[in-house]
Amino acid sequence: MKKITITLISLIFVFSSCDDFLIITPETSLSSATFFQTESDFQQAVNAAYAPMRNIVNDRMWLLTEMRSDNTIYARNILFGATEQQEDLSDHALPEADGITTNVHVLNQYRLDYLIIARVNQILTTIDDVEFDQASKNNIKGQAHFLRAYAYYELVRYFRNAPLHLTPVTTREQAALPLSSEAELYAQVISDAQQAVQLLPNRSAQGIGRATSGAARMLLADVYMTQKRWAEAETLLKDIVNSGQYQLIPEYADVFSETSANKNNIESVFEVQYLEGPEGMHSTFLYNFMPRPISPAELRPITGTSNTQPLDGQGNNIPTPDIIEAYEQGDERLEASIAYVEIAGSLRENKEYPYIKKFAKHHSLHGNHGMNWPIYRYAEVLLFLAEALNEQGNSGEAATYLNMVRNRAGLANSTASSQDEMREAIFRERRVELAFENKRWFDLTRTDRYMQVISDFAERAKSDPMRYYYPAGATFRNHAFTNITKHYALPAAEAEITPHF
Amino acid sequence: MNPNDYRVWPGRMFFFALAFIVSAHSAWAQTANITGVVRSEGDMETIPGVSVLVKGTTRGTVTDLDGAFQVEAAPGEVLSFSYIGYTAKDLTVQSGQTSYEVVLESSMGDLTEVVVIGYGTQLKREVTGAVQSVDGSELMDLPVPQITQKLQGRLAGVQINQTTGQPGRGMSVRIRGQFSISGGSDPLYVVDGFPITGDISTINPDEIEDITVLKDAASTSLYGSRAANGVVLITTKRGKEGRTSVSLNMYTGFQQVPHYNRLEMMDAVEFAQFKKEYFEDAGMAVPEMFRNPSMYEGQTQDWYDALLQTAPISNYTLSVTSSTERMNTSVVATFFDQDGVVINSDYKRYSLRLNTDYKISDQINLGFNLAPSYIADNIPRSDGTRGQGILFNAIHTWPNMPIYDDNGELTYYNRFPGETGNIFAYPNWVRSAQEIINETKITNLLSNVFLEYRPHKNLMIKTTFNAELNARNFLTFNPSTATSGMNQAIPTVAASLRENATDFGWLNENLITYTKSFEDHNFELLGGYTNQYFRRDLTRVSANTYADDRLPTIQGAININRGATINDVQEWSLTSLLSRLNYNYKGKYLFTAAVRGDGSSRFGLENQWGIFPSVSAGWVMSDENFLNTSEKVSFMKIRGSYGVTGNNNIGNYTQYALVNNTVNHVFNNTVVPGAAVNSLANPFLGWETTNQFDVGLDLGLFDDRIQFVYDYFNKNTTNLLYNVQIPQESGFGSFNDNIGEIRFWGHEFAINTRNTDGKFKWTTNANISFNRNRVEALAEGIDRVYGSFHITQVGQPFGMFYGLVKEGNYMNEEDLANSPQVPGRSTVGSIKFKDVNGDGIITIGGDNDDRAIIGNPFPKFTYGIVNNFQYGKFDMSITGSGSYGNEVYMRHLFSTANLDGVFNMVRRAADRFRSPENPGEGIFGTTVGGGNVTGVERDWANSNFVWDASFFSIKNLTIGYNLGAFTKFVQSSRVYASIQNLYVFTNYWGGQNPEVSMQNNGQGDGGNLSQGVDLFGFPVPRTFTFGANINF
Repeated sequence: MKKITITLISLIFVFSSCDDFLIITPETSLSSATFFQTESDFQQAVNAAYAPMRNIVNDRMWLLTEMRSDNTIYARNILFGATEQQEDLSDHALPEADGITTNVHVLNQYRLDYLIIARVNQILTTIDDVEFDQASKNNIKGQAHFLRAYAYYELVRYFRNAPLHLTPVTTREQAALPLSSEAELYAQVISDAQQAVQLLPNRSAQGIGRATSGAARMLLADVYMTQKRWAEAETLLKDIVNSGQYQLIPEYADVFSETSANKNNIESVFEVQYLEGPEGMHSTFLYNFMPRPISPAELRPITGTSNTQPLDGQGNNIPTPDIIEAYEQGDERLEASIAYVEIAGSLRENKEYPYIKKFAKHHSLHGNHGMNWPIYRYAEVLLFLAEALNEQGNSGEAATYLNMVRNRAGLANSTASSQDEMREAIFRERRVELAFENKRWFDLTRTDRYMQVISDFAERAKSDPMRYYYPAGATFRNHAFTNITKHYALPAAEAEITPHF
Repeated sequence: MNPNDYRVWPGRMFFFALAFIVSAHSAWAQTANITGVVRSEGDMETIPGVSVLVKGTTRGTVTDLDGAFQVEAAPGEVLSFSYIGYTAKDLTVQSGQTSYEVVLESSMGDLTEVVVIGYGTQLKREVTGAVQSVDGSELMDLPVPQITQKLQGRLAGVQINQTTGQPGRGMSVRIRGQFSISGGSDPLYVVDGFPITGDISTINPDEIEDITVLKDAASTSLYGSRAANGVVLITTKRGKEGRTSVSLNMYTGFQQVPHYNRLEMMDAVEFAQFKKEYFEDAGMAVPEMFRNPSMYEGQTQDWYDALLQTAPISNYTLSVTSSTERMNTSVVATFFDQDGVVINSDYKRYSLRLNTDYKISDQINLGFNLAPSYIADNIPRSDGTRGQGILFNAIHTWPNMPIYDDNGELTYYNRFPGETGNIFAYPNWVRSAQEIINETKITNLLSNVFLEYRPHKNLMIKTTFNAELNARNFLTFNPSTATSGMNQAIPTVAASLRENATDFGWLNENLITYTKSFEDHNFELLGGYTNQYFRRDLTRVSANTYADDRLPTIQGAININRGATINDVQEWSLTSLLSRLNYNYKGKYLFTAAVRGDGSSRFGLENQWGIFPSVSAGWVMSDENFLNTSEKVSFMKIRGSYGVTGNNNIGNYTQYALVNNTVNHVFNNTVVPGAAVNSLANPFLGWETTNQFDVGLDLGLFDDRIQFVYDYFNKNTTNLLYNVQIPQESGFGSFNDNIGEIRFWGHEFAINTRNTDGKFKWTTNANISFNRNRVEALAEGIDRVYGSFHITQVGQPFGMFYGLVKEGNYMNEEDLANSPQVPGRSTVGSIKFKDVNGDGIITIGGDNDDRAIIGNPFPKFTYGIVNNFQYGKFDMSITGSGSYGNEVYMRHLFSTANLDGVFNMVRRAADRFRSPENPGEGIFGTTVGGGNVTGVERDWANSNFVWDASFFSIKNLTIGYNLGAFTKFVQSSRVYASIQNLYVFTNYWGGQNPEVSMQNNGQGDGGNLSQGVDLFGFPVPRTFTFGANINF
């Protein structure tokens, strides 16, 4: 009996002696305490900082920019009413009060930009504590600065004021910061972009698809253009032109990415990368841009998929009659950019809808394609350069660059001669050359033309809704085009939990 | 039987003490040798160990193993028979008769009975906490496979809802209204001392001897950081000394979905009429299909009914208990087989339990429990929102869409031309139910080994090792010919998801109990040290694009969906020290103090240990002189308790900042690995603490014919575990923290009465509970937390429905002009909301929000009543349960009352607003204006979705007939017929189940923040069964 007692008591002590019993670290995840120790860790971290770009470009950016402009519109299917948030963006009827909006797309855009920023902050605050190859480290830091500049540039253009986070948040108290001014945000964007220009290798020395010194210059030039700092922009743009790293592709229709081919081509300065297939890195934007409801038979010639499914709901990002008219006679870009599809399910008498063709490439499976999305193309470098030169009074040299773009599209040299004429010519050229590439809205805001252009557009559209894809008898909502603003209100879901707005 | 053994069981000890006192001063008289046998009423089994005393004397005996007794008594003397769990009986010795058969009546409410409490047992009369027990035998006849289903209506203060009728699933149990924001509400289930980590539904109810629910902190605090939701102790059947028996229990029957209270959808004629009116009201041409609604007379396709079937259900249990001098064994083997009332659903459970006690010596006992079970089910994706659950899809499929084609084959999908307003393709849901595989296989093994050592008569040392092994194997396969999604053309992409989870957990407990009595002071002291560990290995593989629908293997898929293919390990550990002191003076003044210390791997390194103390006291007033002379009051006890318990259901690793290393990206068609920090660390994270005060009264009147229990409780739950939303400018969505405080309070009443005795016996057990709560605080800077259509807000009860407040429809132009509107969207006949913030316009969300609390998913009170009748050899029982004041958010209306005519509609929508002259019944607004107008009513959470769901449900009616013994093998037998879910009385019209609560994917009840959402799930069937109990 005593033996048993002793056994029992000793058993108790066997178990009581292990404090480690209560320390269990996750077996299938790493923690921040053990990560960020090696070059490979930082390489992975910077890869992850690109990842939100896929979501931004695929799901948000065209809603917040192109469909906001007079290039595309939300095509109403009046039998279906559940997606009014896109409609609010398209027809400038966002609910807004005290600088806050409940629109979920605005919210998601905001959050995705900060996701990039948080990942970059984590890299930039820890990378210098780890020793590894300086060239590799500079490259990673350069990419990180580029991405942060890109994200804050989006934020400042969308929201004007936004919180400025430059170090990683580690406690709940650090999560919310006060709004920084437009000037503070721009200063950060410029500083980050300048660092990126310094740190990044050029196109031929960089991994394909990653940010390069050329992309960083273009981003910085974009910022300067917006700030009307023409000379500084010109310097950067000329650096790009003189680098010899980029050129125009002879045929406009050949410029855009196929589902797996023709990516990161010689005209591409920076593009967002996708991969067709089951890896979860595919794009779906083509489907977002289809007029609806569309049947499998109608969709199949566009997508070329073997298992085509119907698409219900309402059409997003449908080219307006205005953009179609904006192409000059003989412009090869029209046919490359826009095509038509007949939709039997439409309630309209005219069942033919235009759709964006420049990104419509055949792929294998429904809802899964790999086309990359252009952020900056060499054609835009040339148009920016033309604009920067013209704004400094050098309209003659500007024409050289403008005409390079026009000639490629099968058009004759521009007849513009005065600075004003040239300004208008470049403005028009940007609209068609970069149609549906999410440039139009920011062109309208940076030139302060948005109010005039959208008001005129609203008048045209409201006076003939059938032309803007409404079925007979239906029209725009009566609060359409009542809230035309340069910036978006801040997202309500964030406003509810930050003390600062 | 060795009389010393009575020490083992305090109940018997008490009895003997009592018997001794009573008989101390009596004398011997002229006697004869009286013999007889004692049987238990009902099964007429003999009862060993019954105390037999000659009143007024010291003569007495106990019955032997065969229930026989022999005692010296004179005619005219009174023999008194008593035994735990039976009503004592007196018998006067007749002159000339020396042999007697004595039948003892069971007395469930008898205050001399023993109840199972945490880490031991206690005399019920000495219990100072709030506990309630249910005997397993009371639940035998109920033809349902889950223990929790059987308990519906029987427990005061325990709300048990069946949120879906899916076989083997969907029970929600909430003790004393407890919930936390993120920590779940399920109580801790303890099976034979082992707090199990698997699902309670895997336990075979036929194995259960007894269930005890611990409600207050004094009863639960020994379970420490897991006890805040209450504890349910389950004791399985063990061999009883001296008895060997074989019994067969079986029932078989069928289930049906009754026709009453079904959600009334439009038939084909009504739907065509609606569509016709829709187009006319909009000034549009009526499509050919709807020009003549009467052409659909008799043509209605009832898509919902096509998915239902009459389904068989059977249960077979064979049990053997045997006893030898040193060994007691109990074996229970059960096969349960149920088809669901939705086609192609079934649920089977094979279970076995072997409990063995081996007496090595008078001082050492060794015990083994082994309970393997295997469950295999296939349940079509019946539940969930539109495009996820096929029942929801089916109810609003157009009633003129054909289920079968002209050749009598199931159609693949239906889609009408666009001008009919048909914007979705509808796959054939019957095909979906038949062809989609959605099966789960669970292998479960619960085992315990214990060693009891009694080195001294006052000291017991017990060591147990418990292990639980649970393997869950899930496969869902969607062939190319069927889908549960809306608007998918056939063929679709065949896809599979498999999930294999293997759980292993063990618990070692080391307990030492010291009991001591001197004079009238009785002590019991318990100490313990325990360690528990759990690990889950999970693998999930998602694959799609199959060459052949017949082979849903992983290798048969062309693509592996990498984003959804994972493996994961979850582990936790818990080390605890526990101690309890029970003290009473004369069994009259009762006192208990207990404390547990828990160290948990789940909590932050700076906050790893929690202490959970409790104290309680009771006073048996009926033992006092001023009461014990009262004829009317047979028992009276007041008791009170206060204690602290915890809730550690926050998941594992939440105190670490984790790096997700699958945030991959792609460059030039090549995937590159990516990694990002995806959570914030909180080294101070701790358990949720509940401080609970309870005061109770136990009363027995008229010789315990009426027994009454009352409890009041008040508890404060603080440090709520919550994933606090933080501004995402941080790059993170949330932060795991301990925040806020909720106060709960409530009253519980239970009454047991013996209404009639004699040949016609009638007993009633009834209970009613009132639970209230209020959120006292949330985190700093946060005064609200949202659920699906819900808000949890400081100063208000938890999880209220939240939305715009409907005031009616805009009745005419004048009404529209004079009322606040939704800018650009309100028209005559559209839904009119209250302008809560008074700014003149209606806004949802943001700073100018007009939302308010619009309903409460929780009841004002719940109640249950069980009546048992016996007349001769017949018996009958009726069980009912009810709930009052609870509301349901009839979420499916966003589709089933979509005024755009996209789907089939609820019949009530025929009586909608059509014009100022024809405004309808006021529930549904105008269809004119399309989604811009109707979208407000449909897509904005509002009070039009909230409906009263009070109900009273007759859960079960059973009628039995006792056939008694026949042939030389059958000692007793009984046959019965039973109807489960006989009828539900309710005004709720959104579906048949007012207990419904569901989340969008149909995989659960929505969690504490989002209760009471109706997405039209699996119906709860009415079940008719015939059964027999045979004892050999």
